[in-house]
Amino acid sequence: MMQFHLMYIDPGSGSYLVQVIIAAVLGVAFYFKTIWLRIKMFFTGRKKGQPGNQETNE
Amino acid sequence: MSDPQQHPASFRDPAGFIFQYNGHYYRQVNQSYEKDFKLFHSSGLYQHLITARQLLPYVILKKNMTGSQHWYTTLLPQQLRFITYPYEWCFSQWKDAALLTLDLAAEGIKYGMVLKDATPFNVQFVDGRPMLIDSLSFEAYDETRPWKAYRQFVECFIAPILLAKYQSPALLKLFQLYPDGLPLPMVAGMLPMRSWFSMNVLLHVRLPLWLSSSKPSAQQSKPTFSRQKMTHLIGNLRSFVNALALPAVTSTWNNYYEETILSDEYARDRMEVVQPWLKKTDVQTVADIGANTGYYALAAAAEGKFTLAVDADIACLDNLYKEIRRNKVANVVTIWADLTQSSPAIGWANEERASFTSRLKVDMILALAVIHHLCISKNISFAQLALLFSKACSWLVIEFVPKTDPKVQLLLSSREDIFSFYSEQYFIEAFAAFFSIEEKVKVKDTERIIFLMKKVGRD
Repeated sequence: MMQFHLMYIDPGSGSYLVQVIIAAVLGVAFYFKTIWLRIKMFFTGRKKGQPGNQETNE
Repeated sequence: MSDPQQHPASFRDPAGFIFQYNGHYYRQVNQSYEKDFKLFHSSGLYQHLITARQLLPYVILKKNMTGSQHWYTTLLPQQLRFITYPYEWCFSQWKDAALLTLDLAAEGIKYGMVLKDATPFNVQFVDGRPMLIDSLSFEAYDETRPWKAYRQFVECFIAPILLAKYQSPALLKLFQLYPDGLPLPMVAGMLPMRSWFSMNVLLHVRLPLWLSSSKPSAQQSKPTFSRQKMTHLIGNLRSFVNALALPAVTSTWNNYYEETILSDEYARDRMEVVQPWLKKTDVQTVADIGANTGYYALAAAAEGKFTLAVDADIACLDNLYKEIRRNKVANVVTIWADLTQSSPAIGWANEERASFTSRLKVDMILALAVIHHLCISKNISFAQLALLFSKACSWLVIEFVPKTDPKVQLLLSSREDIFSFYSEQYFIEAFAAFFSIEEKVKVKDTERIIFLMKKVGRD
């Protein structure tokens, strides 16, 4: 039945819902990643774009 | 002069088609694509892709060569000497082609265009790098729409690459059975338990299956998308593909020269024999059958010959491809093919993708140390081999490995010797039906003999 349904949805639109869900998941992941990076920057004192080999204040 | 012939694989896209005329391939752009074609150039995307060497360049000929009423313009692309199909690529080639496709999609968006097709058939390898050959693949980008080619990308790139990674690279051949993309239910069933721990496999392979098993409504509202979502999606696919790697394996052949006693010295002795023949001026194209590390194929390419490095061992080819890519070697194309079971003609009317043997037309074939594998392991007769080669080349460099050779003895040790015909005399007789023997050289410290043969008679 699964494949049967797929055959009646045109290839583009069949993936629309999938892409919307994936984009939402990625959006949430991106949001938390940004927050995490900010927290990390706060503690390490590093600014965005600076190389990682810099010494920290700890 | 004959009429322009439309290429049998170029009929799906109403934007245009490929045709052959007087030995050259052209692309007609139809009026329906005029707006997008103009945008492709005016946006700067074409120039960007040419500079980045991601698109096969072309010149625009303002001439209606087909006489078609739908004609808008004609393109003459850089001509390719040989077309390889995705089911003849090694793992790294698949990955590079997938990454190129994603890069094209990402770059296109920056220029206000979106990649509407994501099939590996639109990619060819030129001088060790993947290039888009279908110049009609972009259309104006509508930010509110998701990626039209997303599902095609998953079925045509992600699915084969995942099976290669999680099961075996040999499964890349499945694309020959499913050239429009591998069915995701089948792929999901073939992936092992550990793939359940991959977030990306869940999102791109299993999620579509769960959604499709719920009843679709006919008037499904088309949800809106955004540029940021699109960028996230393509970026995610890119990091997904980029992280997929094969576990390290030792194949039958990838340590051939490294580990056998035959090793370096043997390879060098053989090169001394072959090298002067590679310099022949009437040889422009070479096919090395059983290319292995590519030692001889690379030597032919270094002589400026366009070379096909053919091998049945995908792990060997992967190493060779990576070397070609690393050193930006020009003129070599790797092909994963087994002569006893090479790619058939497939697609509509069996004409869309030509068979390997019909494409194999070169000036010179190198068949070094392969004859015993074909004749003794696979029961191919000398006459069959001579006939096949006579259709493919005008010069043949072939090594005869006699029964006394330790490698042949090894092959015979596990099976009954039903090969009474396997002798130098019968070998010469069989090949003399199509070729004249120009030179015959014994390889130092072995019983092996390398022949230089020239095809006699008409094609």
